[in-house]
Amino acid sequence: MSVGCVLVVGLLFGAVLVYGGYLITVLQLAMIYGIFCLGLNFFMGYTGQASFGQNAFAAIGGYGTAILCVEYKWEPALALVFSMAAAGLTSLVVGYPTLRLRGHYLAMATFALGLITYDISVQWTSLTQGYMGYAGIPPLGIGPFTIEDERLKLLCLVVLLLIGLWISQRLRDSRFGRALRAISGSENGAAALGIRISRYKLAAFVIAALYASAAGSLFAHVVGFISPEVFGLQMVVVTFTMLYVGGIGTVYGPALGAIVASLLPEIFRSAGRFQDIAYSAVLLLMLIFEPKGLSALAGLVRSRRAKSGG
Amino acid sequence: MPSSVELVQSLVNGVGIGLVYGLIAIGFCVIYNASGIVNFAQGVFVMLGGMFTHSLLTKVGVPIALSALISVALVAVVGLLVQFFIITPMWNRKAPLFTIILATLAVQIMIEQIVMLTLGDQPRTYPEFTPGGPLKIGPIAFGYQLFWILGCGILMVAALSVFFQKTRIGRALRACSQNRESAALLGIPVQRMLMLSFALSAALGAAAGILITPTQYTAYSVGGPFGINGFIAAIIGGFGSAPAALVGGVLLGVVQSGAIVFFGAGFKNVVALTILLIVLLFFPNGLFGGLGKRV
Amino acid sequence: MALLKVSNLTKRFDGLLANNGIDFEVPEGGLYAVIGPNGAGKTTFFNMISGFLPPTSGKIEFAGRDITRERQDRIAAMGLIRTFQLVQLFKGMTVVENVEVGCHLATSGGVAAALMRPSWYRKQEMGVRDTARELLAFVGLAEQADLDAELLPYGQQRLLEVARALAAKPRMLLLDEPAAGLNTHETDALAGIIQKVNARGVTVLLIEHDVGLVTRIAHRIAVLDFGRKLTEGTPDEITRHPEVIAAYLGTGDSADA
Repeated sequence: MSVGCVLVVGLLFGAVLVYGGYLITVLQLAMIYGIFCLGLNFFMGYTGQASFGQNAFAAIGGYGTAILCVEYKWEPALALVFSMAAAGLTSLVVGYPTLRLRGHYLAMATFALGLITYDISVQWTSLTQGYMGYAGIPPLGIGPFTIEDERLKLLCLVVLLLIGLWISQRLRDSRFGRALRAISGSENGAAALGIRISRYKLAAFVIAALYASAAGSLFAHVVGFISPEVFGLQMVVVTFTMLYVGGIGTVYGPALGAIVASLLPEIFRSAGRFQDIAYSAVLLLMLIFEPKGLSALAGLVRSRRAKSGG
Repeated sequence: MPSSVELVQSLVNGVGIGLVYGLIAIGFCVIYNASGIVNFAQGVFVMLGGMFTHSLLTKVGVPIALSALISVALVAVVGLLVQFFIITPMWNRKAPLFTIILATLAVQIMIEQIVMLTLGDQPRTYPEFTPGGPLKIGPIAFGYQLFWILGCGILMVAALSVFFQKTRIGRALRACSQNRESAALLGIPVQRMLMLSFALSAALGAAAGILITPTQYTAYSVGGPFGINGFIAAIIGGFGSAPAALVGGVLLGVVQSGAIVFFGAGFKNVVALTILLIVLLFFPNGLFGGLGKRV
Repeated sequence: MALLKVSNLTKRFDGLLANNGIDFEVPEGGLYAVIGPNGAGKTTFFNMISGFLPPTSGKIEFAGRDITRERQDRIAAMGLIRTFQLVQLFKGMTVVENVEVGCHLATSGGVAAALMRPSWYRKQEMGVRDTARELLAFVGLAEQADLDAELLPYGQQRLLEVARALAAKPRMLLLDEPAAGLNTHETDALAGIIQKVNARGVTVLLIEHDVGLVTRIAHRIAVLDFGRKLTEGTPDEITRHPEVIAAYLGTGDSADA
């Protein structure tokens, strides 16, 4: 089955690369969201907790990259790494007290985090340009080599997503990953076996923040322009929809979900002003009738077993 | 360095907004205690309260008291609809937590969009319930609306206390929050309790929105921040009791107000989150320790 | 030398005195049990020892160290591993993966090791896999190794928990009603496993409702009733003790085999 998936995805990309056009942008964003979702899935799928504020870290990544590259003329790669570090540090500081919460409390507290970051990006106009947004962000590149061709950008993003997948897989099939999945399965059971729950949850939270930050930075480079809206509530809903579609706790789910869910809104584009209502209405219907995810509906058998690999 | 007058004034204002946060917080607690769900769409009820009242007042010409009551009833109905058509089916299908939350977020977006498309995106407001004022005690101004908020707030909390302690339905609702399974075994219609909790919660949110609108404004998008602040207030107070939530709200409101005086209005949400984080650091179960961990 | 020493342990829940001044010792290598009718406070006792419930007063010492208000994972790291009355399986993982988690304490390596996979880490992982399969064979679950843990029938889930606990190389094993819900055949198998584990040098303390199992394998038994320790002694002494008989007969339980 997974072979079939890979083939379909491969064909899709092949077609888009050949024919070009608007779909390239859609897929570029899908890749970026995919990276974001990989991180989110890491936290949610492997620790069983819900964080609704990862967009805050994407904002740190996006604005960090924007400011460093435009104001201070940093190298994009360096800015990306630096922003990731900033996001990681922030997640460490914020995560420490909030991760003591569970379930809904954590969800709301992290949701508040996203809102706060939105507020800051709107209010701190001297730094972030506020509502106007930040423009003129240079494209990805190292030194004199910049990637400006759209197809090349897409390929580059695909590579980055694959790297993200590889990292995610590696982490999952390890002592570290097992501990996380154990926490997701039963916190009491995990603690009784010597796993320090708070530390592992925090680690997963930071990892998710790092992925989110990378996604934010990549968005800034690929699109060239960011604004507070980009990292706002929309991002939360879109990314969660992707996880819902692709399934959480699986390795490839987030990436698949990102691709599928990126194509969905295109269907509603013709609705114009009613796009958001239509999208949320359809989403609600899906959630009500198949809350466990579309993959459950399709009866896809996703491999949930760790492929023990050295 | 702000003057003492500014500080005291901010204290007064803070209590007003804090009481509103408290009302919203109680709404969260009611639903959570009855069902284990945190309703992310709570803020939308606040918005609808203000918007409905404004529309009834200005477009249909209904006097303010009646407008308020009708709005509260309407929003309670909205709450029921959300509970019945969205939350319960998902709950019955054993939806994972994050999908239920995603659904309430989607509900919030949808309702906000519908309101925006039907009523427009202009912020609007209506006059204070008692025109004139503010009452001036020395240099400190007490807006008349503040007294309405205080009065209604206390009245509602008192009514809720009576409801939960003295009436059969109220006690049944409390039993539900202690232990849903036992409550069901005792013959308490849990489903109806859930509906009641949503209706009650929506009504509280609407009341909060109606009370606060004259002091600021309402628009299709005000729901989100109110919901967040209300939830933060609920966490601070602990989910144990209505008075605790109210205290949490007032504390939040006062500190936020103070922070606005020191740092400017833009950072009030930042302040809210920081307060939350600090409280959680020292009081992981809320100030009054009422957070019962529901599985 | 007492491996576990409990002194005057008390737990009060609002008005209820769940554990009342319990004194208890388990020597290294012992196979001890705590029994008592329902509501006697056995699980509360266990929860306090393993760090899942803070005592109201009293002291708990393990291997000479005070663990009275210690964190659960730290207690486990000292070698005191417990199982649960309501099985806490790791949902979403297979049977063998569940046991592999048990190896957590005996191994090391975090994010860096997971990413880099140095050779010591790869060897360790292979060791973990082997250990897990061995332990599954030991408890008789070798064939179910790759099944989703949730699919196991109840009795086998309990065995899985034991295997998982053993993977943590415990100095002392706390088994919380391991035979609950097991049929006679399964209980016999369990008894054999517990004895073999004890023979390997692991100290065992179990809570049980099934007096028959306990009298068969335990060296010494403590009886709790209404939160107090009624008495303590060998299986023979306990089954003949009049107060013990009264405590059990009072609730309609009798020593069943």
